[in-house]
Amino acid sequence: MHRSKRFEVLRNRPVHKDGFVKEWPEVGFIAMESDSDPKPSIRIKDGVIIEMDGKTWDEFDFIDMFIADYAVDVSVAEEAMKVDSVEIARMLVDINVPKKDIRKLVNGFTPAKLAEIMGHMNVVEMMMAMQKMRERKIPSNQCHVTNLKDNPVQIAADAAEAAIRGFDEEETTVGVARYAPFNALGLLIGSQAGRRGILTQCAVEEAVELKLGMKGFTSYAETISVYGTEKVFIDGDDTPYSKAFLASAYASRGMKMRCTSGTGSEVLMGNAEGKSMLYLEARCLLVIKGAGVQGTQNGAISCIGITGAVPSGIRAVLAENLMAAMLGLEVASGNDQTFSHSDIRRTARMLMQMLPGTDFIFSGYSATPNYDNMFAGSNFDAEDFDDYNVLQRDLKVDGGLKPVSEEEVLAARNKAARAVQAVFRQLGLPPVTDEEVEAATYAHGSKDMPDRDVTEDLKAAQNLMDRGITGLDIVKALYQSGFEDLAESVLNMLKQRICGDYLQTSAILDENFNVISAVNMPNDYMGPGTGYRVGGKRWEEIKNIDMALDPEKI
Amino acid sequence: MEFDEQLVKIVTQEVLKYLRDRQPADGENITSCSNKQGFRSNDNKQELQMESDKKELQVKELQIRETGEAVAGLYNDEVVVGIAPSFGGSQTETINGISHYDVLREIAAGIEEEGLRCRFVRVFSTSDVAFIALTAAKLSGSGIGIGLQSKGTAVIHQKDLFPLTNLELFSQAPLITREIYRRIGKNAARYAKGQSPAPIQVQNDCMVRPKFQAKAALLHIKETQEVVEGRKPVQLEVTFGKKV
Repeated sequence: MHRSKRFEVLRNRPVHKDGFVKEWPEVGFIAMESDSDPKPSIRIKDGVIIEMDGKTWDEFDFIDMFIADYAVDVSVAEEAMKVDSVEIARMLVDINVPKKDIRKLVNGFTPAKLAEIMGHMNVVEMMMAMQKMRERKIPSNQCHVTNLKDNPVQIAADAAEAAIRGFDEEETTVGVARYAPFNALGLLIGSQAGRRGILTQCAVEEAVELKLGMKGFTSYAETISVYGTEKVFIDGDDTPYSKAFLASAYASRGMKMRCTSGTGSEVLMGNAEGKSMLYLEARCLLVIKGAGVQGTQNGAISCIGITGAVPSGIRAVLAENLMAAMLGLEVASGNDQTFSHSDIRRTARMLMQMLPGTDFIFSGYSATPNYDNMFAGSNFDAEDFDDYNVLQRDLKVDGGLKPVSEEEVLAARNKAARAVQAVFRQLGLPPVTDEEVEAATYAHGSKDMPDRDVTEDLKAAQNLMDRGITGLDIVKALYQSGFEDLAESVLNMLKQRICGDYLQTSAILDENFNVISAVNMPNDYMGPGTGYRVGGKRWEEIKNIDMALDPEKI
Repeated sequence: MEFDEQLVKIVTQEVLKYLRDRQPADGENITSCSNKQGFRSNDNKQELQMESDKKELQVKELQIRETGEAVAGLYNDEVVVGIAPSFGGSQTETINGISHYDVLREIAAGIEEEGLRCRFVRVFSTSDVAFIALTAAKLSGSGIGIGLQSKGTAVIHQKDLFPLTNLELFSQAPLITREIYRRIGKNAARYAKGQSPAPIQVQNDCMVRPKFQAKAALLHIKETQEVVEGRKPVQLEVTFGKKV
């Protein structure tokens, strides 16, 4: 056969490098609306759920049991489950139906009911619903700050820049596990040097993550993973009960946390029990709610290659974000992993969350170039900053970021690097040279950074933990080395866990350490003229990109 | 590229036809897989049809014969390679299109280059690469084993380690080349000789997920479906033949 030249051109387009798979419902390779998903049902006797989604009490696995015992409100369940799913879908889209009326019904829903409602909605309707159901009135954004070399000075500088660019939460992780204390330290100091009140976390093994939090090196946690089938839970040596216990450990010390869930993980691990990805995610979300956790990071997350490969997968990703919002959970809505070779596709996927706004549109926009992203790359990275800013300006949408000047970024990066240098000196850690400070100030990524003595760093990092250094020692070190303003900021971050206000749903802090959450700034969207509108000072920020011609100067 | 199930079916049928023509069923449990030279999995159906019309095909043939229950080796000059339930059977190439013929041959060559012997076993009770590798290590006279999933994921294991630890893990199967398989064989042999070789540096590529994650899940599910719980590992006789 002669080959078509047009087909050849098409075959060479980036989208052809992506992986796609046809549906295979028998093993759960289907995004949503699978024929093998259970039909919603509920039966209650003497205040106890005796049947849920077609299973009787004696057939419950531990996920069903946990949901029946802790997540479904039996006082409304029977009545709520009777309302037709199409009717619920319409209420979600209807601007005249207030959020609280829907929430009351949702409290009585089972996993199958939530998944069935999503099946009646298209993506535009889901975005309408997300705009209304999102918890916090003002949308926000979270970023990843990591690098290939685990260089803590670069982490501090990138954290400072990310804070100036508008991220309210920053997350780091490690290449080499033992670097965790240094990365957490760099992120804590650097973020406050960019803007006061930034929340930071270090995603590592659960016990280490908890320890860093308890010591005051971080101010929240996110990677407490929940799964939708019993087998996958067990493979991870966990149960819903152990996750609830871990969540309460954070709460007991006044630290913000949310879980991580997301479609696709059960399929990837080969144990989806023949159910659709979205139905299994509905189970995860009810486990999270039942555990009393305030929020979740979902939207396929690290399994986006699975959900994104099947028909209606990106619709399912939006649906899972929406289900979480309906349940009253804070939603950090994914967009945090490389998803496609195609710029068109990765942008379209991201708009599903950016346009309606979520609590955190990205649960990890890469604040570094993707080559430095130790979460294996994000959907958008530092090289996309200007594109993203232009999208906000084009659409008059608040995506949580803003254009910044080179001068202010360099000043903040330099201050962050110098502060880390000073703290390392005060705490007796391996020295940070002036050359490193200089390099971190101007760097784009770790290729621009000199190498550190890794062996010495790892020894000192372990020693830092063994010596029992806490957040207060960091405050002292900053104060004694002349960074009094940073000392005050870090101290204020530590105070948060004593007053505990930032444990409320969807909490972030402003530059004066005031909590902005679903409690004091609830989303009150009910159509045009209500809810969050981009305007005033914020619109001026978004508008003023330096690429635009100024007519007055011509 | 899209994973084309139809294509796999055609290839399988073709192979089976070849086998039927070549040898009458004799009750022996033989699996084999073929890999046409120059054949690429993303070529389209018509092209394949055209190719198969030509009678003369250069086909590498991997023949795997089961020779009874695997036993622990007595001599310390061997490395045992454990293969997953579908390897060289219902699956014939890695996620990246390297034929199982080449994978086993490279690993065997790597081991032999170090002066050691290579023994093959098939593990039926699990599709988890860590447990396959550990099973192989426990059967190995040297205590060193290699585990292989059909999609190409490989682990070098040692008999006295915890299952989820290892000597070397090659988790990103799409990035493993033929040369790396040979080096995996070499390094395993060096561990078996009591040396401490430098670990093979593994490449990291953030676009592996969008390209391969879904396919990896498919291949893993298919392999997991062939797991036979409780079945003991069997000894294999592997021959690297060539069909003309």
